[in-house]
Amino acid sequence: MNYKPIDWVDERLGTAKFTRKSLNKIFPDHWSFMLGEIAMYSFFILLATGVFLTLFFVPSSADTVYHGSYAPMDGHVVSQAYASTLNLSFSVRAGLVMRQMHHWAANVFIAAIVVHLLRVFFTGAFRKPREINWIVGSLLLMLAIFEGFLGYSLPDDLISGTGIRIAYSITLSIPIVGSYLASFLFGGQFPGNKIIPRFYTIHILLIPALMAGLLGAHLAIMWHQKHTQYKGKGKTEKNVVGIAMWPAYAMQAGGFFFLTASVLAALGGLVQINPIWLYGPYIPYKVSYAVQPDWYMGWLDGALRLFPSWEITGFGHMIPTVFFPAVLLPGVTFGLLMAWPWIERIFTKDTGAHNLLESPRENPWRTSIGVGVMAFYMVLFFASSTDVLANTFDVSLNFVLWAFRVLVFVIPPIAAYVAHKLAAEAGSVESAGRPRKAMVVFRSNEGEYTTEESDPRPELEFKRHAMHGDIAQSLPEESRLHGEATEKADDGEDYAFSVSSVADTPAEEIGERPSGGSGVYEVPRGAPGSGGGMFSPRGPVHSKEVSDSEDEE
Amino acid sequence: MKFRKKLGGRVVVPVALGVAASVGGLALFSQGAVAATSTGSSSTSGANSVTYGGTSGAGSAPITNVKLNPATIALGKTLFVENCSSCHGDTASGTSRAPNLQGLGAATIDFWVSTGRMPLADPTVQATVKPSRFTKQQTLAIDAYVSSLASGGPKIPEVNLGSASISAGEGLFSTNCAACHTITGVGDALAGGVYAPSLYPATKTQVAEAIRTGPGNMPRFGPGNLSNQQVADIVKYVKYLQHPNNAGGIGLGHVGPVTEGFVGILIGLGSLMIAGYWIGGRAH
Repeated sequence: MNYKPIDWVDERLGTAKFTRKSLNKIFPDHWSFMLGEIAMYSFFILLATGVFLTLFFVPSSADTVYHGSYAPMDGHVVSQAYASTLNLSFSVRAGLVMRQMHHWAANVFIAAIVVHLLRVFFTGAFRKPREINWIVGSLLLMLAIFEGFLGYSLPDDLISGTGIRIAYSITLSIPIVGSYLASFLFGGQFPGNKIIPRFYTIHILLIPALMAGLLGAHLAIMWHQKHTQYKGKGKTEKNVVGIAMWPAYAMQAGGFFFLTASVLAALGGLVQINPIWLYGPYIPYKVSYAVQPDWYMGWLDGALRLFPSWEITGFGHMIPTVFFPAVLLPGVTFGLLMAWPWIERIFTKDTGAHNLLESPRENPWRTSIGVGVMAFYMVLFFASSTDVLANTFDVSLNFVLWAFRVLVFVIPPIAAYVAHKLAAEAGSVESAGRPRKAMVVFRSNEGEYTTEESDPRPELEFKRHAMHGDIAQSLPEESRLHGEATEKADDGEDYAFSVSSVADTPAEEIGERPSGGSGVYEVPRGAPGSGGGMFSPRGPVHSKEVSDSEDEE
Repeated sequence: MKFRKKLGGRVVVPVALGVAASVGGLALFSQGAVAATSTGSSSTSGANSVTYGGTSGAGSAPITNVKLNPATIALGKTLFVENCSSCHGDTASGTSRAPNLQGLGAATIDFWVSTGRMPLADPTVQATVKPSRFTKQQTLAIDAYVSSLASGGPKIPEVNLGSASISAGEGLFSTNCAACHTITGVGDALAGGVYAPSLYPATKTQVAEAIRTGPGNMPRFGPGNLSNQQVADIVKYVKYLQHPNNAGGIGLGHVGPVTEGFVGILIGLGSLMIAGYWIGGRAH
């Protein structure tokens, strides 16, 4: 192979060192760490399908007479945005499947962000030094919800037009500045003819650029700080135990991308979403009953439905009802969300850095608060389908509404209390979170039976290690040696937060060098080789006594 | 709590993702010209000063009236006395429990009886759709009997979709019907325990009857509001909505983002979480 071009680049950019270090980077391997990946891969699918859609979508509110292939709309005067979405769905090859993949990806994207956020919250991964990434992630969630709403609005169909109407009213409800804001945003009164092109610009340019930037920052900070890990055998605050970027992690992550893509493609191809041809164009005097937003706006819609019609007047200004559920609630929600690492610190007084995660049972108060808050938003979420629930279960809509008004206050404390009890109870169980030990029954020659504890499922441990080991060992021998040699020379600049802690740790505990988490085998932040090694064929056999004490964490 | 019968069966929790049988149900636009089974506006109820839109003679008219056979009045009377008179009285003149039916016209009687709403399952709640207790001939006999008692009211419309426009129907439906029945016709709960029923089980005649007679809480759209042609257009669009173009795949009950959200979260994210659990590490 000709290495000349690679050398050329390397001599100018020094890429070899960075690449080698990156390829050797260790990622803790746990399924719950892959939730954020679902969101990231959905984002990629969104970008790809979104680019396709822009080729055919016409962001204009100008009237046009539709004469396309969808007969029930033939001859109707519709906006160009709506007409082009119909054409995109019925006349562009693969247009509908692209549109549906885009929409499904958006639904899955935000769901994955939320689940990822919950994982980070309940395991305490937001604690020092990761507060910045917590805020970046929260901003990404906010932007994703806003972005989703804009995209949902663009086809200018009857359902989404009603959503824009609600957004207009919400903007109007902001005290003092509301009417100005609404007027600036819509270029005058609702609906006007400017909102679709403006939403389009924000949807395809502004927010995606912001999100791509924030996502890059999110990943870079994670890379720089290194991923947290769960407590367990051989895992300390000062090491990272996991699989190497290349090839094990790259194969896993790459495979997961294709799994995500295939699920989204299957949904896009098999399950109909947002059939705007059945909804018709948005015409302000027309309205359809049973209008809901997409799921991620559900909690806001539910809050709007549940909030009583109070209008508060003060200082000569009337604050409309919708201000409280639709402006104040999301403001408080995201404010508290971003401030949580500091709020928690007020109570815990914990200012230390943490790389080892907590299990939800180890922190019953956090778990309890998280579950309570989650229950609150779940009730609001379900309240956005009051009419559908009333219709499906044949109860009065008024009853459903009042039931939710009560439940929104009753369910969260109950959920929080139960969560606290369960977490505290589980935390007090000594063996909780430990691998279950196998009980082996022996029969002596005399026929006497005895029961002995064996190692926790040793054959499973072996299989897991062997599987990853096979992949890792395909790495060329010389590159491994090379890598380790350089790591020793490296200044550890890739090792951001524990430079100080390295200094005050006994040398035998961390080994020669924390090495920036880029050991090929398994113990980058700690002593190489201790605990048997991730890829050693028999698992951590010799370190049994040692690991017992380490398990106490 | 008694569950309302939904004969259309479209509001189903969409669990069966694998069943992609409904993919691409195009070409349901053409309902085909339905031959007018009867011509002439003569009915047993005699002459009406108000026509209620019924036209006579023309086979290609959008709506023609069903001719009721005077010979069936006796059968109708027997059926009425057996099944209806305990509330409405022997001569349909009403009692303290139920209203006077005289002069309401055959269309009203036919709608309530043929959709199974009458006899009522439960007089305290909105009349529910259920399988009709009578055959078509028996229903027509009851219609003939009640409309023979007094003149007036709209006659049973026979809708001819041959000349109807599905496009005009969409415009009229979205303006006049979607506010309660929803834009996909799936129906929804309104305030105070009242609901707009699903349009999926309705026949052509029943849709036209409902428009012309305004059953229950529904407003009545007389010929001054909607012409016969417009009623036929709406009927054509409603029939289309019963089997709409699900070009995108499984229709998810046509209730919009509610089911879509559940599918996105439970099936989309759920299957990906399972996949992550499958390929990711598990032991701590």
